[in-house]
Amino acid sequence: MKYLLFIVFAAFSFQLSAQQKQFSKDDNGKYIYYKVVDSLALSKDTLLQRAKSFVNVAYKKSMVQESITDSSILAKGTMVIDKTILVAGHPSGEVSYNFVFEARNDKYRFWITDMLYIPYQRDRYGNFVATTQIGTPLERSPGKLNAGAWKDILNSTYAKIEKFGEEFKKYLATNRVDKAKKKVETISTKKW
Amino acid sequence: MKKLLTAIFAMASTTCALAQETATSPLEISGSVDTYFKYDFAKKANNITTSFASDHNSVSLGMIDILLKKKTGKASFVGELSFGPRGQSQSIPDAAAGGSSFHIQNLYVNYDFTDKFSMTAGYMGTFIGYEVISPVGNFNYSTSYLFTNGPFQNAGIKATYKFSDKVSLMAGVFNDWNAYSATRGVSAVGGQLMVAPVEGWTAYINVLSGAGAGGYGTIEDLTTSYQITEKFKLGLNAANYDIDNDGGGYAGAALYPQYAVAGGVTLGLRGEYFKVKDVGALQGNKYTSVTLTANIKSGGLTFIPEVRLDHSGNMPFFKESGAAAPNAGQFSLAAVYAF
Repeated sequence: MKYLLFIVFAAFSFQLSAQQKQFSKDDNGKYIYYKVVDSLALSKDTLLQRAKSFVNVAYKKSMVQESITDSSILAKGTMVIDKTILVAGHPSGEVSYNFVFEARNDKYRFWITDMLYIPYQRDRYGNFVATTQIGTPLERSPGKLNAGAWKDILNSTYAKIEKFGEEFKKYLATNRVDKAKKKVETISTKKW
Repeated sequence: MKKLLTAIFAMASTTCALAQETATSPLEISGSVDTYFKYDFAKKANNITTSFASDHNSVSLGMIDILLKKKTGKASFVGELSFGPRGQSQSIPDAAAGGSSFHIQNLYVNYDFTDKFSMTAGYMGTFIGYEVISPVGNFNYSTSYLFTNGPFQNAGIKATYKFSDKVSLMAGVFNDWNAYSATRGVSAVGGQLMVAPVEGWTAYINVLSGAGAGGYGTIEDLTTSYQITEKFKLGLNAANYDIDNDGGGYAGAALYPQYAVAGGVTLGLRGEYFKVKDVGALQGNKYTSVTLTANIKSGGLTFIPEVRLDHSGNMPFFKESGAAAPNAGQFSLAAVYAF
C-alpha cells in the first residue's frame, strides 16, 4: 500500500512538472524561450564565432542570419512540428521564430520569440505542405473549437524549442577543431 | 519522346554529383475518413452529375484513405489506398469491376538528385486542376464540372527542376489518363510551370495530352490561389480541353473566394461556368453552378454544410416528377476527419 501511494504521488508530480513546461511571456506579451548561460571561461569572440557557426553551418537549412555585431546575432528560422499517431506520424505544421544571441566574456544569453504557426495540409501527391504563408502568433487564442488542438501545438512547439536550445548550448560548449583523418590501421596476417 | 527522355536523364546525370545527403525521416502515416448526408431538392439521386456524393436523403459514406510515406536519404516513396464509394467505384480506375475493390490514389517513388532537381515515377494524383479526389484537399464537398471531366490521376515519369522558391518547372511522359497501365504506350506528354510572384500567391500553368472520356486530346489548365489577407483567399481554375480531329472537348472556369469569419470557421463560394464543346451539329451543354460552403474546423475534424444550385439551358436535370428541368439544387452536410 505504501509503495502504491508512492507511485501515485510520483506519477502526479511528473504530471504537474509536465504541465509547467510552457512558454513564458516577455514585456510585450509574446511567448519567449529565454536562457542565460554562464559558460566555461570562453571569450566573447569565441562564443560569437560558435554561435555564428551554429546559425550558418549547423542549422543553415532552417535558419538565416539577419544581422551580426561584435557581441550579438539576430537570425530567423523555421522548425517543423510533427503529429504522432501511435508509433508513426507526419508533419502537422511549422513554426517560424526570431532568434537573438548576445555574448559577453564567460557568459551569453539567447532567446526565441515572435513565433508564428503555419498549419500543414496534405497535397494531392501525399506530401504535407503549408496551407498559407501567413502565420498565426502562438499567443493568439484559437477559440473554443480548436483550443485542444492549439494546446497540442504549443506543447509540441515548446518541446522542439527546448531541444533546439539544448543543442545550441551544447554546440557553444564544444570546441570544434577539424581533426585530420586518421589513417585506417591495417593488420597483416603474413608475419607474426 | 526519345529526345525528351534523353534530355531528362542528361540533366539528372550532370547534377547528381553535387547533392548533399538529406536526412532520413521516420515512416509517415496519414489519412482521412469522410461521411455525408445529401438532400436533392428534386429528390433525385445523382441529379447533379459531378463526382462523388451521389446519394440522396441518405447518410452515406465517402471513403477511408490511408497513406504511407518514407524518405531515406534522397529516395522516398508514397503509397496511398482508399476504400469506400468515393475511393472505389467513384474514383477511376476501379481495380475490380463492380466497385468492390480498393483504389490506388498514389503509388510512386521519388529521387532528389539535388536540392533543385528530382524525378518521380509511378501512379500519381494529377497535376491538372484545382480540386482533387481526397475531401481533405478540397474546400467544397461537392466537386466542380472541371474536376469531374478532367484527369484524376496520371501514371508516368516526371522530372521537376526548382529554379527558386518562386519558379519551378516539371515535364514528364505519362500513360493515358486514369489508367494503371497504358493502352497505346507511354504517349502522353505533360508539363507544369509554377510561379509564385508574391508571397501568398501561387500559380500553376499546366499542359497535358492524353485520353479523357471522349477521346485523345490536349488540356491546358491554369490553377492559382492567392492568400490576399490573413482572412481572405481567392482561387481560380480555368481549363480548355480539345479532343483531336474536332472531336469536341470542354472549357470552363471556376472562382473560389473564401473568407475566415471566425477562428476555425471559413465561408467559401464557388462560381463555375462549364461548356461541353460542340461536335459537328451536336451542341454541347453549358452549365453554371454556384456553391456556398462553410468549413467548421475543430482539430482534425472539418464539418462542411453546403448548398449548391446548378443551371443549364439544355435541361439535363430532373424534377421530382421525372420531367427535364433547367435547374437543380442540393443541400449537404459532410464530416471529414484528417489524421
